[in-house]
Amino acid sequence: MNLGKLLSVRKVSLPAVSLEGPAPAGDAKWVGLRMLSALTLSCLAFAARTVPFLLVLTAVNLALLWYLGSGHLSLRRELKAFAWQTLVILLLYLIRFQNLTGLWDGFQISWQLFLALLPSMVFVRSTSQTRIVQALNRVMPCRMAFVLSTCLKFAPHLLAEVRCIYEGQVLRGARILPRDLVKPWHWFDLLHCVVVPSVVQSMALAGNIALAARARDFGCRTKRSCWPGL
Amino acid sequence: MNPVVEPAGGLFRLSLKDALFIGFCAVFAVLARMMLRLHLHISGHAMLVTAFFLLLARGSVRYRFAASFAGLLAGSASIFLGFAKSGPFMLVKYLAVALVIDLAGLLMPNLFRNYFWCALVGGFAGATKFFTAYSVNFLAGMDRTVNFQASLLEAAGAILFGVLGGLLVPVVLRRLHAYGVIS
Repeated sequence: MNLGKLLSVRKVSLPAVSLEGPAPAGDAKWVGLRMLSALTLSCLAFAARTVPFLLVLTAVNLALLWYLGSGHLSLRRELKAFAWQTLVILLLYLIRFQNLTGLWDGFQISWQLFLALLPSMVFVRSTSQTRIVQALNRVMPCRMAFVLSTCLKFAPHLLAEVRCIYEGQVLRGARILPRDLVKPWHWFDLLHCVVVPSVVQSMALAGNIALAARARDFGCRTKRSCWPGL
Repeated sequence: MNPVVEPAGGLFRLSLKDALFIGFCAVFAVLARMMLRLHLHISGHAMLVTAFFLLLARGSVRYRFAASFAGLLAGSASIFLGFAKSGPFMLVKYLAVALVIDLAGLLMPNLFRNYFWCALVGGFAGATKFFTAYSVNFLAGMDRTVNFQASLLEAAGAILFGVLGGLLVPVVLRRLHAYGVIS
């Protein structure tokens, strides 16, 4: 039985841990510029109250999508969420106004909310995580940027450990297979057999990383120096 | 002098180990939300994981602003992992939940071992969903009555799942205490 297959309720696409060479100084600025433009576009979506404005904003977003994603980005999941959200909002508007004229307003709101999420999604999918963290180092306190980038880097490792714990517990006979979890009284087994050991494991990992960082003189200087990059 | 083994963190000082543990809690919160996004379409079920991990972060570390730190990290991480359903507002959503938890922790430092108080704080943390949902829709210019109803609908689910998430925390903390991992 392929336990790995059973475990993955939903495939999580973590950004790959990339070992890219030193980033040129201009690159971080370019990433920062893209981050800012994505945020601006998101904010503009809330200001757009008229149809022409919304259409222009959609066109700009689509151009950005085409330019940054170069045709590789799939919007299937986002469009599904958009359809569901539109349905709920339209239903609420129908209940409120009891006629069909309110529906257009509801659709416009849903369109606006979708345009607010699209730019950041495009930005994240089209930019490597290392570059984002390097750009982030310039705006965040260095300790927080270190913690964030380290946790994101070690997330796949931690997930693999959680998977190991899960498989071990299943082999020991814990009733935590998906078919068992259909019954809610088995959920406590999941808590005791998987969540608690995972938390202990992550604490141990945090201790080891902290020790390694201290051994490399982390925190001696206020300004962070890192390799590769800035 | 820089001793390799760092002294333990306190109420006001966050040691690097604790900061990394809080970071892992934040990443867990985001990843669990991504993995277990069941297609239930019950609004607010994400609050179960959010409330649980933020309460856990605060409960297992002595630092006073642990939950806020975790919320800040979780918000940033969810933006970077491409999971920010409402863009930059994700940060506000996590922070609102975290502030409630930190405030409760400040008032009652021992609440994390008690089922009732944990459930109550989880419920209050879930209730912040009303304000965040209302303000996002308000900024988009939604009709006031519809907005109120929609936000109330979302908040009701969030409160329910927040209470559930809060109830799980004492169980885990007691086990961690028994293992001697936390003091």
